[in-house]
Amino acid sequence: MSSTESLIKHLPNDIGGMPADRIEQIDHILLPWEKRCHALADVLDFHKIISTEEKRRGVEALGSDIIGKLTYYERWIVAFSVILFEKQLLQPEELALRMAEVEKRHQREPVL
Amino acid sequence: METHDHSHDHAHIENPVDAAPGYYEVMETAVRELLIEKQFIGRGEIRRQIEVIDSRTPALGAKVVAHAWADPGFRSRLLADGRAACEEFGISFYDDTRLIVLENTHKVHNLIVCTLCSCYPRTVLGLPPDWYKAKPYRARAVKEPRAVLTEFGTDIPDDVEIRVSDSTAIVRYLVLPRRPEGTENYTEEQLAALVTRDTMIGVATINTVK
Amino acid sequence: MQDSSITAAKPQVSLLKALGEDPSLQVGDVVRVSVRYPVGHYRVPTYVRGKQGTIEAVIAPAINNEDEGFGRNSGLKGYYYRVAIPLTVLWPGYTGQPTDGLRIEIFETWLERI
Repeated sequence: MSSTESLIKHLPNDIGGMPADRIEQIDHILLPWEKRCHALADVLDFHKIISTEEKRRGVEALGSDIIGKLTYYERWIVAFSVILFEKQLLQPEELALRMAEVEKRHQREPVL
Repeated sequence: METHDHSHDHAHIENPVDAAPGYYEVMETAVRELLIEKQFIGRGEIRRQIEVIDSRTPALGAKVVAHAWADPGFRSRLLADGRAACEEFGISFYDDTRLIVLENTHKVHNLIVCTLCSCYPRTVLGLPPDWYKAKPYRARAVKEPRAVLTEFGTDIPDDVEIRVSDSTAIVRYLVLPRRPEGTENYTEEQLAALVTRDTMIGVATINTVK
Repeated sequence: MQDSSITAAKPQVSLLKALGEDPSLQVGDVVRVSVRYPVGHYRVPTYVRGKQGTIEAVIAPAINNEDEGFGRNSGLKGYYYRVAIPLTVLWPGYTGQPTDGLRIEIFETWLERI
């Protein structure tokens, strides 16, 4: 098997049985946007817009570099964006424009 | 998913009103707004679903366990069809998952994991802890469950069989812990107070009441 | 007092089942998990492929989750099965107890009866 074949055959999340560290019993309270992101996943699944399984596949498709560097909910929202483009429910341009506008909103309100 | 856990970077911000939204929060906001404007999702659905998520905590699972301990008929129905018994108990399932309740006995100890992602019985336990979603637990629970349990302070005797259930599809699992001795006269409320999240995942057992 | 008319046998009907209505595997069947390498998405972890186990339970029919991952939400359903595999089978040199085992849900197209 060539070294690149194994990248395709073995997904980055397929880790059952692999060597790993001691378990750190950590947890964190979800940030508000993370909670909203989780709620978004449930709502999208309920409406059959993006199923839970499509979300899993979409996260896997980000690839191991991005998966390793983004947090759990960061991976979700990026995956959702791409899947929504694939389904032609959103367009890349309109999301980019809206994101710029959301950023500007905060800048318009001065912080004292 | 290879998880590089960032939870230590996310110091909980008490009042983030003045903090600029990060890149991913901006993305989430923009996606949500566009989906609502295009009427793919309803205004208020996200807020409502947050309330649904917040209403699901391990206290729900604890009530189910306590009721199963107190009512042998319910216990049988719970073990036969976890979802139907929970629904009879008043717990709704807002997704298409099924529930298999795994009974711990003096001969069998159950442990649950999702090696491929983070499947978890959210409808009865709420959101999973970070450690459940991270690589060490997911990689090692199916290969060296006894060592994993020891790390949680749980020692299972050699004559007890360990069953590790790896969720990969539509079934979710809930461990039904063994009822501790000395609780024969407890009310269901008192019983439920003994049942923690970790005992329903299977990484802990409820200590015998002294 | 027993009234024999009330305790009559259940009515017998002869039925043809639809194709795929009955599961093809039963509790107790010895099975092998197939070895193949789906591109892009799969839900049968590598660590169980090629391993032998026993059917412990039949799970209600549902859509193949490999297909669901790419958007399918209707169409042909199949059975999932809860499969029991000893940890000694999965991991050479397993140091726990020989009775320790895995339970995992696997879609019917990944299981071969042996």
